[in-house]
Parts: sequence; structure tokens; C-alpha cells
Amino acid sequence: MNNTWGDMAQYDPVTWNWIIAVYLFMAGLSAGSILIGIGLRWYSKDKSVESAILKAAAIISPVAISLGLACLVFDLTKPFHFWLILINYNLSSVMSIGVLALLAYSPIGIAYSLIVLRDELPKWKLGFLVPLAHALQPFRKAIEVVLFVLAIGVGAYTGFLISAMNAYPMLNTAVLPALFLVSGLSAGAAANAIGALVMFNTSSHDATLGKMHGLELPVMLSEMMFLFMLFCALYFKGGAAAAALASLTIGVWASVFWIGVVGIGFAIPLLSMLMPAQTRHTKGVMIAVACCSLTGVLALRHFVLYAGQSYIS
Amino acid sequence: MSKRYVMVHDENRCIGCQACSVACRSENGTPESVSRLQVRVEGPFGDAPHLHFKYNRVSCQQCENAPCVTVCPTGAAYVGDDGLVSIKADKCVGCMYCVAACPYKVRFMNPETKAADKCNFCKDTRLARGELPACVTVCPTDALIFGDANDPQSDVAKLINTKATYQEKTHLGTQPRVYRIPTKRGGIQS
Repeated sequence: MNNTWGDMAQYDPVTWNWIIAVYLFMAGLSAGSILIGIGLRWYSKDKSVESAILKAAAIISPVAISLGLACLVFDLTKPFHFWLILINYNLSSVMSIGVLALLAYSPIGIAYSLIVLRDELPKWKLGFLVPLAHALQPFRKAIEVVLFVLAIGVGAYTGFLISAMNAYPMLNTAVLPALFLVSGLSAGAAANAIGALVMFNTSSHDATLGKMHGLELPVMLSEMMFLFMLFCALYFKGGAAAAALASLTIGVWASVFWIGVVGIGFAIPLLSMLMPAQTRHTKGVMIAVACCSLTGVLALRHFVLYAGQSYIS
Repeated sequence: MSKRYVMVHDENRCIGCQACSVACRSENGTPESVSRLQVRVEGPFGDAPHLHFKYNRVSCQQCENAPCVTVCPTGAAYVGDDGLVSIKADKCVGCMYCVAACPYKVRFMNPETKAADKCNFCKDTRLARGELPACVTVCPTDALIFGDANDPQSDVAKLINTKATYQEKTHLGTQPRVYRIPTKRGGIQS
């Protein structure tokens, strides 16, 4: 029987769809990639050479955030009015704070990439940018520090953005920004590894690559811990929050979680650590494992966004 | 804010006739695929012959602590001098943060203006002329009562001070200004 009160389509609780999940992924990837690149540079003794990891990060980070922002703009119902968001600010809105962060993060990230890639630019027919890169060179330290801080902001911001909505118990938790930041780090590390191996043909026994691999296990363990904390918080809160735990057992998002996040994102990379060192360190295996990590993080963003919006308190 | 506009929906009196929805659509020119106001007839509940329905008004709750206003990045969603939560359509970019953040799911994107839209108690039209909102005027059973709750002599103030009412999702701290009088079941004794 038709209802008498009209179309229910507008009442679908899932407002933000996969485009936003891709944006959340790209922003996390961009922040994670540059955080790891800069972090490893600070950690390394020889700062005169640009490591393949940092060069990869210098490409991945600005490209990822640009693609992410393109997703964001074209998801607006009025994409050609996006400038309205740049001239009007409401500082109680997490989105406005994020716009300010991204407004600084994106150009500073590009400036830093030019510095890092100054010797590569002529190879890509971008030689005309070299003078600019050299002009920016004296400010490298300052740019690096500011970019690092902003990247932490951008990485966590995507979590704050969706946790600010108290209508959704699974999203409205304090742990989400931390979860998104660490999963961004894991995506960033994976993408940096692929970039270094594929674009800069680095050896799979490279020292910086090795150090980055050392980070992967603690990052993945903290990601698992934050996920566990998220579900515990829901369970103990009870009511609508506990009902949201059904997303782990029922429906397509349960499959995305168990196959995508747990199976591909955690189990394969963890099990790959049990392989003999020789096999594990071949280029093919490293790239395949990195692709699994990236898939896992993308699946996590989709799971959190869709399952989170499906349960309303 | 000197005024505190509230709406009371008496679920005892409501018969689910949808006159209010039609009046709303006509007054506000709401496009066909979307609505500012729905009265959902839920049920039947209970066992025959004691069946009953619930008439659930779904429209903007005019929260005093409105999540949609807090999250709006451009200030397109704002609280006016009259305390009403309204939208400046030309400031809205359509990020849908307000649609997602509304716990009552009563915000929608207007397919014609591409801006967020919702009930504003007919603020710009009927209220501006000193009239009652369209839904209140048209209700055949007087199930809707509207007015300024800050005025102790108003019908709404008297009503919410004397009748048992409830509001939806108060646990979220939104302080909705749509009050509901729950159905009291049973026959009238003569």
C-alpha cells in the first residue's frame, strides 16, 4: 500500500556517500604520506640526499589532497559556488576549521614538494619551476615544521568532521580522529613504498624503506586498538549506540569490514611478515602488501561512513 | 530573544488527514519529490478490536540548540532575531553537512534551488504578515497550536504548562520546540 504522506527518499539517513569516503581516504593518505616522509627525514642522519620515500611522499601527498578536494567540490550540490565556503566562515563548524587547515596545507604541501623534487623537475619537463624551488629552499625548515603540524591537523580533521554529528552514535565518538590519523599513516606508508619502488626504482633493501617498514606494525596495532575501543565504547554506551554494533554482523558493510578491513587490510600484511625474509623483501610482494593496506584503509573509510550513518540515535 | 515560537501537535486530535502537508506544499512551493512536513500514520498498534494508530509529525523541530546551525560552514543556516532556525539559500553551497547532522532528518536539498531547505514556521510569508503557519490554519481538528511560549497568556504557553507533553530526542540536548501531546487511549465516558 502506498503511504499517504509522500516520498520517503529524502529521509535516508545516509547523506554522505562513497565520494565523501574517497575524500576522507585521500585526505588521510595525503597527510599520512607526508608525515612519514618528513618524520623519516628528521630521523635519518644524512639529510643532504632526498630519500626515495620522501620524494614519493612529495608526489603522493599533493596529488592525493588535490584529488580528494576535487571529490569534495563535485559532491556539492552547487559545485561552482564552492568559493562561498572560502569567504564565509563559521568557526563552530568543524568543516570551516578544516577549510582553513586545507587552505594552508595544500599550497604549503606543494611548495615543500617543489623543494624536495627540485632535481627531478627537469626530467618531467617542469624545469621552469626549478627557480621557484630554489627560492623556497632557505625556508625549508620552517615549511617542513608547519607542514608536519598541518598534516596532523588534516589527518585528524576528517575524523573530527564526522564525529561532530551527535545524531550518529558510531561516528560521535572521541576515538574516530585518532583512528583516522593512524589509518592515514598506514595508507601513507603503503603509498610511499609503492611510489619509491615503482617511480624511483629504489632497492627493496633501502635503509629508509626498512625504517618505514618498522613503523608499519605499531601503526597497524594501534589502528586495531582504536577500532576495538570504538566498538567497546558503543557496546558499553548501550541503546542506539549498542544497536549500531549490528553493522558488524548484518548487511553488506559487515562484509566490507571483515573482508576489506580485517582480511585484506590487517591479516594479509600481518601474515606477510611471517614469510621468509627473502620472499618478503621482493619488490612484487612489497607492492602487493602495500596495495592490500591501501585497500584496507579505503574499506575502513567506507565502513565507518556508511555503517556510521545507517544507525541513528 | 524575546520570542519563543513553539508548535504543539496534539496527537489525540490529529486524524492523519494530510491537510497540513498539502497546505505546507502550497504555501511554500515545495517541489514534488521533497517535503517540509509529513504526518506519518504509524501502526496499527495493539490487538483487535483495540487497535490504534500514532500520528507522527515529521518537520523541523526548531531546536534551540540546533546541530545544523553549528555545523554549517558558511553560516547559511542561522538563528534569526525571532529565534527561528532559517536558511539563507544564496549562502548555501550544498555540502549537506546540515542534512547529515540533523538528528530528526528533516532537512533536505531542494532540487530547484540546490540549497538546503526545511520548515521555518512560514516565517517569511504568513508569520511576517501576522498570520499563523499554513499547517496550523488549515488543520480541521485544531490539532496544531502555535504561538509565542514566552507570552504567558498565549494558548501554547497555557497548553504546555497544563498538559503532559513530550519532545523527540531530548537526550541529544537539541531542545526541540515542537511539543507533542501523546494519545490517551480509551473511550469517552458519558
